Amino acid sequence: MVELREHDQKTLEALRKLDGKGTVEEIAETSGLAHAAVMRAALKLSNKKLVQLQEQKRTTVTLNEEGRTYEEKGLPERRLIKSLIRLGGTAKIEKAVNNAKLQKSLVPIALGWLRKKNWATLSRKEKILRASEEPKEGTDEKVIRLLAKKDTIITQDLDKEKRRIMEVLRKRKLLHVKDETIRTLKLTADGQKLIDKGIKIAKEVSQLTPELIITGKWRKAKLRQFDVSAAGPQVYPGKIHPLQQIIERARRIFLEMGFTEIRGPLVETAFWNFDALFQPQDHPAREMQDTFYLSNPKEGKLPRKTVVDAVARAHEDGWTTGSKGWRYKWSPDEARRLLLRTHTTSETIKHLSKHRKPPIKVFSIDKVYRNEQLTYKNTAEFYQIEGIVVDKAVTFRDLMGTLKAFYSRFGLKKVQFWPCYFPYTEPSAQAMVYVPKLKHWMELCGMGIFRPEVLAPMGIKYPVLAWGGGLERIAMLELKLDDIRLLYDNRLEWIRSTPLCQ
Amino acid sequence: MPVITLHEERFSKFVGRKLTLAEITEWIPWLGFDIEEVGEDYLKVEFNPNRIDFCSYAGVARAFKGLRGWETGLPNYKVSDSGITLKISRAVSNVRPFMLAAVVRNLELDEEDVVDLMEMQEDLHWGVGRDRKKASIGVHNLDAVKPPFTFTAAKPNSIKFIPLDKTDEMSLQEILERHEKGMAYKHLIDWSPTYPLLIDRDKQVLSMPPIINGELTKIEEKTRNLFLDVTGTDIEAVEKSLNVLCTSLADMGGEIERIRVEYPDQTRFSPNLTPEKMNLKTTFTNNTLGLRLSTSRIIECLERSRLGARRTEKGVIEVAIPAYRIDILHEIDLVEEVAIGYGYYKLKPTFPSSVTIGEQHPALKTANLARQIAIGLGFTEMMNFTLTNERLQREKMRRKEEEEVRLANPVSAEYTIMRQDLLPGLMKNLADNRHESFPQRLFEVSDIVKLNAKTETQCERRLHIVAVSSHAKANFTEIKSAAEAFAANMAIGDWKIKATEHTSFLKGRAASIHIRNEEIGILGEIHPEVLNNFGLENPTVAFEIDLEALID
Repeated sequence: MVELREHDQKTLEALRKLDGKGTVEEIAETSGLAHAAVMRAALKLSNKKLVQLQEQKRTTVTLNEEGRTYEEKGLPERRLIKSLIRLGGTAKIEKAVNNAKLQKSLVPIALGWLRKKNWATLSRKEKILRASEEPKEGTDEKVIRLLAKKDTIITQDLDKEKRRIMEVLRKRKLLHVKDETIRTLKLTADGQKLIDKGIKIAKEVSQLTPELIITGKWRKAKLRQFDVSAAGPQVYPGKIHPLQQIIERARRIFLEMGFTEIRGPLVETAFWNFDALFQPQDHPAREMQDTFYLSNPKEGKLPRKTVVDAVARAHEDGWTTGSKGWRYKWSPDEARRLLLRTHTTSETIKHLSKHRKPPIKVFSIDKVYRNEQLTYKNTAEFYQIEGIVVDKAVTFRDLMGTLKAFYSRFGLKKVQFWPCYFPYTEPSAQAMVYVPKLKHWMELCGMGIFRPEVLAPMGIKYPVLAWGGGLERIAMLELKLDDIRLLYDNRLEWIRSTPLCQ
Repeated sequence: MPVITLHEERFSKFVGRKLTLAEITEWIPWLGFDIEEVGEDYLKVEFNPNRIDFCSYAGVARAFKGLRGWETGLPNYKVSDSGITLKISRAVSNVRPFMLAAVVRNLELDEEDVVDLMEMQEDLHWGVGRDRKKASIGVHNLDAVKPPFTFTAAKPNSIKFIPLDKTDEMSLQEILERHEKGMAYKHLIDWSPTYPLLIDRDKQVLSMPPIINGELTKIEEKTRNLFLDVTGTDIEAVEKSLNVLCTSLADMGGEIERIRVEYPDQTRFSPNLTPEKMNLKTTFTNNTLGLRLSTSRIIECLERSRLGARRTEKGVIEVAIPAYRIDILHEIDLVEEVAIGYGYYKLKPTFPSSVTIGEQHPALKTANLARQIAIGLGFTEMMNFTLTNERLQREKMRRKEEEEVRLANPVSAEYTIMRQDLLPGLMKNLADNRHESFPQRLFEVSDIVKLNAKTETQCERRLHIVAVSSHAKANFTEIKSAAEAFAANMAIGDWKIKATEHTSFLKGRAASIHIRNEEIGILGEIHPEVLNNFGLENPTVAFEIDLEALID
């Protein structure tokens, strides 16, 4: 005796209406069942050999953004050959490119394909392109046109030549390709027999309703039993960004260790970013290739004269500190220049100039900027972790211990301290952490005790222990990434699939 | 940062002991080097230009021997008299006022030594000379020319000579216009009516500082006796460069000889390798490092850092600083030398006993509450850069030009201005994720930067929240409800929503948000043209609120 549930019966009934054969989509539409319900029924019916389940793969193809641009403007090689013909069939590469108004990045692509397609000859020496006539529309261009017209194409429907071209276009990265599986159900002889006997659909209740509950009708209703292992539709929770999650972890560690959070402007004067930290005005780090300066607004205001004068003297001759200073003429104009801060220490020193009563423990995890191209290991803006301890008798070893305590809470326990140099700290060190996966020591952060030339102009009388380092490096270790850009390209797929508990 | 490649065998020769690569790799970081690359038989290390004396094998070996305790204390360099005079003409005082020089004799340079010497010059040009501006070096074969020498200045077309590695004579003018070094460095002198020139007794040209040497005095492997010149605009940079160079060459086996340098108004002898003196207190050292070292132990540590040290009174050490060190400005710098000599690896971390209570910054407290509510409403967080560009911020958003915080030296067309609102970033996120499943509800809580002439920096950082919802049925009601739920949970009291017009939003479906008559935000349906600009297919709604007023 075959026992069938409501959905199974409805599926069979739909198949009957479809003359014994239909795709899951068609059955869903005919029966009014949800897609997932048909799939579940299909599996069950095929287990009972009442239907046969066939799977067929198909590939749908659409143009991507670059593909659409080419469809509009023509392939780069087409644009180049057109301009070459316009120029009489012989021209310097540069001239043909300019005439075609081709973006620089497209030039190698255009030249490569001109050669591959034998549309033109290139003499390398003189950099001259030659072609006799404009070539006819190629199959690839036809396919692009077709894709633009039909929006979506199923590759399996195409002839062999077009399929080959499709592969070429895919490799040129002009297409979105999606693989799908089409599932078709076919009645078996047993299935047909069962239908012939006549299916009487017993009404099953799938959704318990308020009405059933209130009226007590649920007692009589046949409540359908679910296949609890069946897959349901995926839902994605609203969620914190994985990088923000790590920032929050670091903040919590600081707060647990008794540090108070500080926060300052992203745009800073060179005075607070460099001069107040005893960085000489001709220091290479202050140059345009390292620091972003502003063209609007250009200049900011300096703090009160006594502070500015003291900083100027510290640079020029060491002021009252006993230092030799940097021995040059300090310029207030240079100090007024506005820039995107290169470290959060600009805010630290400003904070310490106003809060001088020890003990002080402050931190920040905040944005800083460096004039860098975006690569797998650098971004122009990133987060810096900075921690500061000020007290009457704190020492260099205390700095090491504080920092170790902080990073060990991130699971980074094997830390070494190598000598290092920073203009505003002495003694200085860099904390290196051993990364077993990479089998080498990686720089974690820089650290040191603020120099007397930094402290004296701000009226700070006690040792200032400071450390600072990038957050992204830790984030990449934690999130197992090897490209920093992934932290910032906001791919939903990555954010949705990255667990919050690492 | 400058880099030096240390070959195991050659470095061993300089240290005077057979070293393995593993041993060098293990110890060298404790001197302050960063390991860049470990090769088969070499090590590539990076050093900071404050220790510019690390630019040669000799300099690194000196410090390495000290660290290991194989040779400690101040290195001694004997300087004898060369009897050679260098005359500095008044003509150079405006264009390149300073020159100092030295002679190093009886060298036996091999091919590697010559390479070492070249690299040393380059590092000094960059690290001390600030790309030849403050100081630049010329190294000459002394035997090819005849003293006395004169540093003078000549008219651009008055003299011709064969520049280094060329075959034809060129005038000074031609060198600046056509020679690769001339073109690279002409800005240092081309504003002057006369160009600097170093000549010998017979008016043969040794060099045209700071551009190029003459072919005449070219260094080869068989060169035995060197004449070194350093010219510049900063006497200290000139002197230190010369000291680093002479002492390295002396460590390579040369004998240093002094030159009489006659300036129009004074005469000095160069090189001057007399160590500078500075006092260091025992208590200051121990208090800074957190150690309890005796004065004699501290002296020992200083000596391992290749400094001279002697006790002058109780708890006070007089430290002699070698002439090649450019980085000792203050007593505190000597404390670090003690730490390096002691060994950073021996410093045991301790934990300070300072008791404090931690506290969040109010802005970040507000930011986190905003995040919590947005997540509760089903939105997923995005993190975009604060740097952006006009195309994204304005053109794609259908906005008119406005004044914004702008970079003077952008590194790419992508990042030219600071964002003044967060919405365009989220539109880009939607565009980048259009192949992911819908609905897509995204938010960001972050900073924008606006001009504000009242602040010290003429602009200000403000905390914003933005949220977008994009799916087939997104509409004004959905986002208004979300914004209201957000406001209610942030305890934004008497807020008002008024109809408004905004070019990024659909007319009649945009509203501004106000508290106490101050506009703090906007909400509505994104204009379809904006959706087209981003290649979005689904209706999209958004709100953005300035959170500054909510920070306490």
